[in-house]
Amino acid sequence: MRSFASTVWLSLIASAALTAAAHAQDLARTPDGHPDLSGIWQVITPAGQDLSAHAARKDSPAHLGAVVGGDIPYQPWALAKKAENFKNRETQDPQNKCFMAGVPRITYTPLPFQILQKDKQLTVLYEYVHSVRTIYTNGTDHPPGHIDWFLGDSRGHWDGDTLVVDVVDFNDETWLDHAGDFHSDQLHVVERYKPIDKDHIQYDASVEDPKVFTRPWTVSVVLYRRIEPGVQLLENECYTFDYEKFYP
Amino acid sequence: MTRMTGAAALVAAFAAFSPGPLLAQTAAKPAPSAAGPWVPAKLSDGQPDVQGYWTAGGTVEVNGEEEQTRGGTYSITGGPLGGGGEQEVIDNYKLAQQGKPLPSWPSKVVDPSDGQIPYQPWAQAKQKYIEANVDHATKQEHLDPQERCFLDGPIRDTFHYEFKIEQYPGYVLILHEGYRLIPLDGRPHPDSAIKLWNSDSRGHWEGNTLVVDVANSNSKGRLDRAGNFASDKVHIVERYIFSGPNAFTYQATVEDPTVYTRPWTVSTKIIRTHLKEPDYEKWEDECWEHERNIKELSAEIEQAAHAKTSGKAHPPQGAQP
Repeated sequence: MRSFASTVWLSLIASAALTAAAHAQDLARTPDGHPDLSGIWQVITPAGQDLSAHAARKDSPAHLGAVVGGDIPYQPWALAKKAENFKNRETQDPQNKCFMAGVPRITYTPLPFQILQKDKQLTVLYEYVHSVRTIYTNGTDHPPGHIDWFLGDSRGHWDGDTLVVDVVDFNDETWLDHAGDFHSDQLHVVERYKPIDKDHIQYDASVEDPKVFTRPWTVSVVLYRRIEPGVQLLENECYTFDYEKFYP
Repeated sequence: MTRMTGAAALVAAFAAFSPGPLLAQTAAKPAPSAAGPWVPAKLSDGQPDVQGYWTAGGTVEVNGEEEQTRGGTYSITGGPLGGGGEQEVIDNYKLAQQGKPLPSWPSKVVDPSDGQIPYQPWAQAKQKYIEANVDHATKQEHLDPQERCFLDGPIRDTFHYEFKIEQYPGYVLILHEGYRLIPLDGRPHPDSAIKLWNSDSRGHWEGNTLVVDVANSNSKGRLDRAGNFASDKVHIVERYIFSGPNAFTYQATVEDPTVYTRPWTVSTKIIRTHLKEPDYEKWEDECWEHERNIKELSAEIEQAAHAKTSGKAHPPQGAQP
């Protein structure tokens, strides 16, 4: 049976698709005709605390859920590990240690990020621990061999007005949220940045990991443009907080 | 997150053996060539195109001749511990092991002319205290914040090896192991209550020179490993003076009446790198996540403090090259 949350999400996605078609002509575009995604963006969702639907609790506001279809399709052993992670989340969440957040979590970490765009690449700057991603759109493939990276290797292309980014080469040291949802180094993410209008992007990330999940599944959130006058990225160097007292 | 690379860690570990061969330093002002000033390609918003990889410590072929430059890895005021790249650190470690004298480095401080930072007396004493303890930490505050993988901040980030410049309409982006995004639209700095590891940068172009006004420093980082420092009242004006396609002069004038008796200026030559690797990509750096284990660092400090109070010899620090 389809859950309430998934019904809401499906209808949101459907309406987003209609809105995108309605506003495609209003989008800012780069000289090569692609949508110009430049700007400062941020989510408005507790997805970073827990991707799944949940009531409010100490470490998260209530959430309708950001997993399309409602459930993350864990293999049985992985479901048990997720439950263990959840129990130990305050000490074990890598983001509580201020490690780089991984993809897609870096996107729905509730801090602003800035997209800078040119024809052969996009550079994405995140306020969270000065993380940087380069998304190559120059037709190159992932480098050979498996490489253990926190933010993976990102190669993108345009599918109409949607930026599609293939991301591999992850380590197994990040979580997908604070609730202990996790992955292995076999994680393969395909992000889709689809403009809804000039100030909103529909962000869908398909998550595939044959070691952990029984099938691919999708995270879906909306990116909101930060439009306050003078808005800019600042810093969140959270790993320094406990040590700043030594450097008055 | 991503501070010190393996190479940089090596440099830090052997900073005491890190001078390099004495090389000519770049004058503060670029000399115009006989053919007239360099005419760079222009980007769509009119900026000179200076994109690519740059370094304060390396060798590059310029007009058929090899040119070398050195950062101020250990101290921007030079001396026997003044600078050097990764190879120089290894070379000089060998020299030191053989008991051979190490070459000395000129100061990167070009004003005042004596190459010294014009500290007020209390500030000079603080710098000496930091320098005396940085390689033999027995207290948490002795440790160089860079060793903890904290951000370098302006000036040190330029001297600290390779960086990449990307340009976008209205912005210059400098990617070190973190980043500095420099808006060119003349907007003011944010509220002075905001203090940042990497400060806040505002830029504009004067011909081929990028002028960057730097404020909002949290002053928790240091200007080099030798403990040179500023306060959170510091105001820095950087000038990136591009005089040709493959080299530029970096100048930073540092003003902080709470620490110095007068403003001072540091300058170094920066050269292009990866010139022969057009497909070179800057890959992920990490530091905080793996390279530095803060618990181990703290344990080392406690061990060193214990050895000091119990009269034992100081344990060796750092890794082997």
